[in-house]
Amino acid sequence: MTLLTLDGVIAGYGGGDVLQGVDLDLQPGAIACIVGPNGAGKSTVLRAVSGLLRPREGRIRLEGADITGRHPAEILGLGVAQVPQSNGLFPNISVRENVLMGGYIRRRDKALLRRRYGEIAEMFAVVRERADEKAGNLSGGQRRMVEVARSLMLDPKLVLLDEPSLGLDPKALKQVFGTIKTLIDAGKTVLLVEQNVRFGLRLATDGIVMESGRVLLTGKADDVLNNPEMAALYFGGSVQEQRRGTVPTPSPKQSPATAGG
Amino acid sequence: MTELLQTIILGLLVGGVYALLAAGLTLIFGVMNVINVAHGAFLILAAFVTWTLWDATGLDPLASVLVTTPLMFGFGWLLYNATIRPIRKAPPSSSVLLTFSLALVIEGVLGLVWGNTSHAVRTSYFDQSFAFGDIFLPKAQVYGCVLAVGVLLALWAFLTKTWTGRAIRASAVNPQGAELVGVNVAAVAAMTFAVGVAVCGAGGSIVSVLYPFLPGSHYVWISRLLGIIVLGGMGSLPGAVVGALLIGVGETMTTTYVGPEWATAVPYVVIFAVLLMRPQGLLGARLREDVAL
Amino acid sequence: MSTASSSAATAPSETPPPAASRRRLPLGGWGLLPAAGGVILVAFPFASDDLFWQNMLILSMLFAIGAVGLNIISGWGGYISLGQSAFVGVGAYTVALGALKIGGNPFVWVPVAGVVAGLLALLMGLIAMRTRGHSFVILTIGFLFLLQLIAINWDELTNGTQGLSLPIPMWDIAYQYWPFYYAMLGVLCLSLVTAWRIRRTKFGTGLIAMREDEDKASTVGVNTPVYKMLGFVASGVFLGMAGGVYAYYLAFIDPRGMFDIVISVQIILCMLLGGRGTLWGPVLGAFLVEPLNELANQQMGGGNSRLLIFGGLMALVVLFLPKGILPTLKERLTARRQRGQAGLVGARLDGPLVIGERTAPAETTVAPGEALLEVKGLMKHFGGVKAVDGASFVVPQGSITALIGPNGSGKTTAFNLIDGTMTPSGGEVWFDGRRIDDLPPYRRAHLGLARTFQITRLFREMTVVENVVAPLRSFSWGQLNTSAMRGDEAARAEELLTFVGMERFRDQKAAELSYGQQKLVELAQVLMLDPKLILLDEPAGGINPTLVARMGEMIRTLQRQGTTFLIVEHNMPFVLGLCDPVLVLARGACICEGTPGEVQKDERVLDAYLGDDFVLERSAEVAR
Repeated sequence: MTLLTLDGVIAGYGGGDVLQGVDLDLQPGAIACIVGPNGAGKSTVLRAVSGLLRPREGRIRLEGADITGRHPAEILGLGVAQVPQSNGLFPNISVRENVLMGGYIRRRDKALLRRRYGEIAEMFAVVRERADEKAGNLSGGQRRMVEVARSLMLDPKLVLLDEPSLGLDPKALKQVFGTIKTLIDAGKTVLLVEQNVRFGLRLATDGIVMESGRVLLTGKADDVLNNPEMAALYFGGSVQEQRRGTVPTPSPKQSPATAGG
Repeated sequence: MTELLQTIILGLLVGGVYALLAAGLTLIFGVMNVINVAHGAFLILAAFVTWTLWDATGLDPLASVLVTTPLMFGFGWLLYNATIRPIRKAPPSSSVLLTFSLALVIEGVLGLVWGNTSHAVRTSYFDQSFAFGDIFLPKAQVYGCVLAVGVLLALWAFLTKTWTGRAIRASAVNPQGAELVGVNVAAVAAMTFAVGVAVCGAGGSIVSVLYPFLPGSHYVWISRLLGIIVLGGMGSLPGAVVGALLIGVGETMTTTYVGPEWATAVPYVVIFAVLLMRPQGLLGARLREDVAL
Repeated sequence: MSTASSSAATAPSETPPPAASRRRLPLGGWGLLPAAGGVILVAFPFASDDLFWQNMLILSMLFAIGAVGLNIISGWGGYISLGQSAFVGVGAYTVALGALKIGGNPFVWVPVAGVVAGLLALLMGLIAMRTRGHSFVILTIGFLFLLQLIAINWDELTNGTQGLSLPIPMWDIAYQYWPFYYAMLGVLCLSLVTAWRIRRTKFGTGLIAMREDEDKASTVGVNTPVYKMLGFVASGVFLGMAGGVYAYYLAFIDPRGMFDIVISVQIILCMLLGGRGTLWGPVLGAFLVEPLNELANQQMGGGNSRLLIFGGLMALVVLFLPKGILPTLKERLTARRQRGQAGLVGARLDGPLVIGERTAPAETTVAPGEALLEVKGLMKHFGGVKAVDGASFVVPQGSITALIGPNGSGKTTAFNLIDGTMTPSGGEVWFDGRRIDDLPPYRRAHLGLARTFQITRLFREMTVVENVVAPLRSFSWGQLNTSAMRGDEAARAEELLTFVGMERFRDQKAAELSYGQQKLVELAQVLMLDPKLILLDEPAGGINPTLVARMGEMIRTLQRQGTTFLIVEHNMPFVLGLCDPVLVLARGACICEGTPGEVQKDERVLDAYLGDDFVLERSAEVAR
């Protein structure tokens, strides 16, 4: 069955609705990457799913169960982990404790956490080797990897990654790319948001293009990446049509097709 | 030379007790961004309770830490939920004014119940000192410092080894991140306040045997504690310890070499110097400008 | 068609007072109360011999003076101080020491007490320049206690804890307390007149702007350091004089009594209870709090019950009545009256855009096409993060230049460095031929540089028209005393509001507007500065397409009249249709500049947006 469904989701932060009716399907095992220009609402989709933002309208379903507007801790318990855009770690705490904190809601089950921590340490070299260092002393790329590691503590079904490449230099990008590959190899379903289109779509199996709070088009990641209109999307319409002196009005969008597995 | 050494050691002993008291204050600030101006009043309250226990049953004040700590924990918890929780989102001035009014109310109650006279717990060892060659260290100060360090270690263990402690430290530094891993930041705040007040209670018991006190003494104490956390860096526990030791030594040095009446000026001078020159204190986090890119 | 000609109709015959008392109830009704109170106060000693009441009124007036003064820097300026009783103490000791050591009637020393208190307040203002929020409050506490300690320890001067006795009054006993009473009343009148005057002048609106958003106030030309210091001086001078009178009245002063933090707390309580940010609220509060004080002292056993009452009362006010009595009353009453007017805020902006004639901005030293703004090697580091890393670019005079780039490229930081909100770690900023990177934001505003914010920043408690009038094109000492809103300024503001289409919302509180409406008002607001260069931070963000189009039209119109623009935007069609040149920022540096057409086709730019190409080690294909 479909792992995650968004159905006509409308949500905003009070100033206006960022999401204007988002429809999205995610199959188990898929790696979907949402791309789109700034202000499209990409990160907002993740926040709606993880419970940080309550949608005004529409439904979000996880394996059929309605999770719209539930508390983040509840959604975490149902198997959805989010790695936020930046600044998700606790810099004054050791790497080991940061990772352990990922299991906070199951803290009473010490055996479980110990086992999970062991598994994660095996997967992630940075956790193994820098366990006792304060997280704040790590480089940007290493911190990002620890964050990803932490998100796996409770063996989630779905991992949400919010712009994992943000602020990273090329070397760190490679490291994080590898880390996310590890996630994928572990069989997780991943929904990631990326403004670095090439980075995101190379990782993904499916691509979702958003603009102005709606899904514009979906398809296989490679197809979306090689679509000649991507550049046009970021630079708005075809160049030849624009004359100086007029401000073009945006053209109406086609209705999106749903993503398939 | 021995005078200098004695002054410094005494300052460190005094500083140890200060550290315990300041730890609670800085913890509350770090997690909740609230300056608990009533902290001095809480400690005097604990001192009075200790005095009564000693007066009625002869219980040694250092032992009554076992009583006052849980008592003050409960008191802090109730107080937080009744008065402070509603104004958590209000600007800083509200929390300062509110905790100040709590301090006044407590001072008034203390005066009504115990009277406005000076009290002190005079145990058997009150006037005795340990002698190390030419250096004399009052027994009460030594015991008090040892006990204070013990409680501080217990606090440290709580914060580093328990899940609640981790949740507290996490919320202090990144409440949103904490929320994302399922921490109930609001409940953590209540717990933090209660722990801070409990620790203050322990310190108050110790203070009862070290210094005479009356209801109005809380002003001197809160000024001192504010000076300590400002020096160490507001919100930093290690900073509170360092600041406490420095101010402890600063006070004893001032007493010996300038005059006892100027010792109380040390915290004020420190406040001015630090806030004007290096606002984040010795170990505090530098306040970052908006990192909007 | 110009709308400026309607100035005669729109300019009120008397200047309207600022928002603090905007919801003004008719003078015939409520205005009588303070008048009646004043008459009673003046006449009282003639009518009654009761010393108990005279005493209570004298002390009430003392608190009123303290609260009115505190309100200037706190209710209007936004700085809470627990050190106000320092002024009482300093004033008291000045009068006592002057009369005792140098001689003369203590009343003669009262103005001197005011001066000394004013100097102390100036010191406090200087301190306030470096601290805010929690730190500031802690400093005021330290300030007060330090002064108390000095008064205790410096016995050669102050006689320490033994205190000072003032000379015995020389007048006929039949006059009782009259001289004290009327002296205090005189100081109260002076402080009220000053507060009233401040409220009606640019000084007052500047203070309120500071309270609402200090950094924003600076970017629209309010000289915040001077305003802050003067605000403190105004808050301390009269309290110092009152302290002097108080000392003479008490006949004996000592450090603990004169530098008593409980008095500071009571003064704050008076202000909070009556209503911070109003003129009469603090007075009302004082005349409620002081009788309570007396009651506690006389009837309920003095000291401790006094603490209980005041502590408890303050806690209740902070928790349940944070705005105070007068503003809460006003809110209730105006809510009832305005019930039928709902819906105005939600009104959509439609109809044709009225673009009036406007005066062009001041002449620049730079010719059209040459660099109006030049940024050279600009750098900003936050710890390990290099937000801006050697950015260099030029904005030509008379152009609409775009600054684009992916998330995290440093655009907003660059804006912050240009307008002075942040200080650079390195590099230079040149504007209109002079270097500006060491100037504070308000100086840059005076030179003609204006800026709007990505998340709009208006002064929320002020009305729309007050917001637009708030910016100041220059600073002079005389300006502080000029009327808050002159007729011609109001007319100019309305002209600007009409230009952006918000003239119907003139008297609406800024906090009640929608996001798009706030954006328009913010634009009108910065236009008030007649800027040579406007930095627009995402003007098209978060608003509907019709409004976006209108924005573009407005920008183009303004450009035709001589204003230069630098726009940060993500909305590409908007930018590419409007701007030339286009500057591209990536990883904190400018990687490309050119016409829209050139930039769109540039490989580097595409890479920056879509992601650098990098070599991957492809692990085994993951089967899906």
